[in-house]
Amino acid sequence: MIKQFISHEWKQFKRASYFQKGLVIKIFLILGAIYFGGIAIFLGAFLFFIAKKAIPDVDPIVTINNFIIYWFLFEILIRYFMQQLPVMNVKPLMVIPIKRNTVIHYLLGKTAISFFNFLSLFLFLPFSVVLLYKGYPAVNVLGWFLSIVLITLCINFFNFLVNKSNTVFYITLTLLLALIGLKYFDIYSALEPIGLAFNALYNQPYLVVIPLVLLVLLYNLNFKYVKNGFYLDDAVSKKIKAVEATDLSWFNRFGSIAPFLKNDIKLIWRNARPKQTMMMSFLFLFYGLLFYTQDTYKDMPALLAFASMFITGGFLMTFGQLVPSWDSEYYKMLMSQNIPYRKYLESKWYLMVTAVAISFVLSTPYIYFGWKIFGMIAAGALFNIGLNSFITLFGGALNRMPVELNTKAKAFSNTQGFNPTQLLISLPKFILPMGLFYIPYKLVNFETGIIVLALSGVAGIVFKNFFLSQIEKVYQKGKYKTIAAYSEKK
Amino acid sequence: MIITSNLSKKYNGVQVLHIESLEIPKGQSFGLVGNNGAGKTTYFSLLLDLIEPTTGYINNNNVLVNESEDWKPFTSSFIDESFLIGYLTAEEYFYFIGELRGQSKTEVDQLIAQFEDFFHGEILNQKKYLRDLSKGNQKKAGIVAALIGNPEVIILDEPFANLDPTTQIRLKGIIKDLAETKGVTVLISSHDLQHVTEVCERIVVLEKGEIIKDLKTSAATLKELEAHFAGTPTF
Repeated sequence: MIKQFISHEWKQFKRASYFQKGLVIKIFLILGAIYFGGIAIFLGAFLFFIAKKAIPDVDPIVTINNFIIYWFLFEILIRYFMQQLPVMNVKPLMVIPIKRNTVIHYLLGKTAISFFNFLSLFLFLPFSVVLLYKGYPAVNVLGWFLSIVLITLCINFFNFLVNKSNTVFYITLTLLLALIGLKYFDIYSALEPIGLAFNALYNQPYLVVIPLVLLVLLYNLNFKYVKNGFYLDDAVSKKIKAVEATDLSWFNRFGSIAPFLKNDIKLIWRNARPKQTMMMSFLFLFYGLLFYTQDTYKDMPALLAFASMFITGGFLMTFGQLVPSWDSEYYKMLMSQNIPYRKYLESKWYLMVTAVAISFVLSTPYIYFGWKIFGMIAAGALFNIGLNSFITLFGGALNRMPVELNTKAKAFSNTQGFNPTQLLISLPKFILPMGLFYIPYKLVNFETGIIVLALSGVAGIVFKNFFLSQIEKVYQKGKYKTIAAYSEKK
Repeated sequence: MIITSNLSKKYNGVQVLHIESLEIPKGQSFGLVGNNGAGKTTYFSLLLDLIEPTTGYINNNNVLVNESEDWKPFTSSFIDESFLIGYLTAEEYFYFIGELRGQSKTEVDQLIAQFEDFFHGEILNQKKYLRDLSKGNQKKAGIVAALIGNPEVIILDEPFANLDPTTQIRLKGIIKDLAETKGVTVLISSHDLQHVTEVCERIVVLEKGEIIKDLKTSAATLKELEAHFAGTPTF
């Protein structure tokens, strides 16, 4: 039976329309996987030496054990956003005689070969090999490695529970926040006992039974959860959510673009995918922390300009690159309705600009890094509003991938709304702000660089109508192609 | 009102539709019948400029459909569920369409109030998004949305499919009323010969993309159609 499932899965994968078409996408995905996998292997191999160099007096394995919790927290976070319990088309299976348990075991077992589990493996397998090579006792290293793998699998299954149940999610969140808060205010550090626990796993290899028991427990919880949902009523037929009606009549003051604006707000609020995009775009706000805190970047102002643009541009870029794909589900209707493209585009533009403005306000704490940095952020925001918005909308117009609104995007298994054109069009988004800043900076000085970057944005706003007309033309030209691409069944 | 001339559509060299000439006068209720793959939906898609004609053109009220967008204000349609915005409630969707067609909230309210019995209490005030409604109820919402904004041409693809008997009967009443008393040109397609003959003044039979019958509906029409379809094998 399981063999059948695997063969079905393979067919589904091979015959998916986006897969058959997008050879380039395939290559990109494979490259991406190799890239991340490669980084992990590389890091794993050098982890031992890095740890040794960082804290020379402590045994590297102890150092790693003390900090390994950060890795797992990072993993939980990434998984929460990216990994979902795979959906299997169970409807046709329910009426034919297959044991329900077989299907569920298969479904859960399948998740064990997720990319995320391999990431951990890639990181700690080379590390363990180095340990063995360095003459650490084999029993301890193997026991420890096994524990790490089991814990990774635990996280794998834990994540599904967090993802599916709000209760588990909020409990986890509160616990984490409490621990971080306690650590931050120096009241209590959970790091030490956790470090001790991992060291114990190393020193007493037989303790591997603890993660094993935990894994069995989590697996069973998942099993129960899926089994309970294994009825058409809830798992397969969609869950009906109560309507969250909101009064958006306030937006009517925007005149002719109001209907679109109101619709877009509902679009974001009521659908899983755009909601996820919005959440993700918040993370962009922290981009600056990566760059401004490190001395290496101090002398690379072009990169700083790039980072500054990113801080306020999160929503603009992640949401904007999928205009008009967001409306792909009902694009035919929009095209046969009395809709001026201009108003449609303008509405999206205002939405993006508002997001930039909000991000800019939220970025004020960056003043901490000095006015020069904040000036850059402000200039970056203007660039985003004036130029980046149009570049992004233009790129979107060339993007003809349908988007399923109410399905969250999944990493590496979901290429919806991603294509090579998108990649090409995103190049100017990165190069332009760097160039606009760097050339006057080199020729004159820092301030001029900022002013030129800011002025480029102002110029964009002045020529707004010109840009919108150009994008409109792209829309008109690609109309039939876009409709055909969107109505293709997934 | 709607003049089709030398219209054809080919996909990869295979002809799926070819209409030498077809004229639909204003206020006619026009029915299109044919087996699967006969070209009904293709023709409607061409009428709405959703696909590009290979040759020829459609002239809708003196507007060349594939060249100008001026037909949009007086033409409305419901082809399939992809015409609905899944994350809106029925009311929100009606108001949205209303806004696109320059109708105020009260005007939309007035219009949908007339269809209360058509909705059968299953569409309005449901606190449900359109994507969560059943197929039949989605269709009801879509059809009524196509009536918003006093369109002169209404195009409905398979309006009777998925509807319950009560609603089918009510829908027939609505369509007849539109054509007879309001002078609206109504184009529908259907697999149900009885429904079409009851509702439409004129019935055109498509087969493999070509018009093979053009009938003015009379008492004998249903018999004639049944004989025709019984005689031609489905595939």
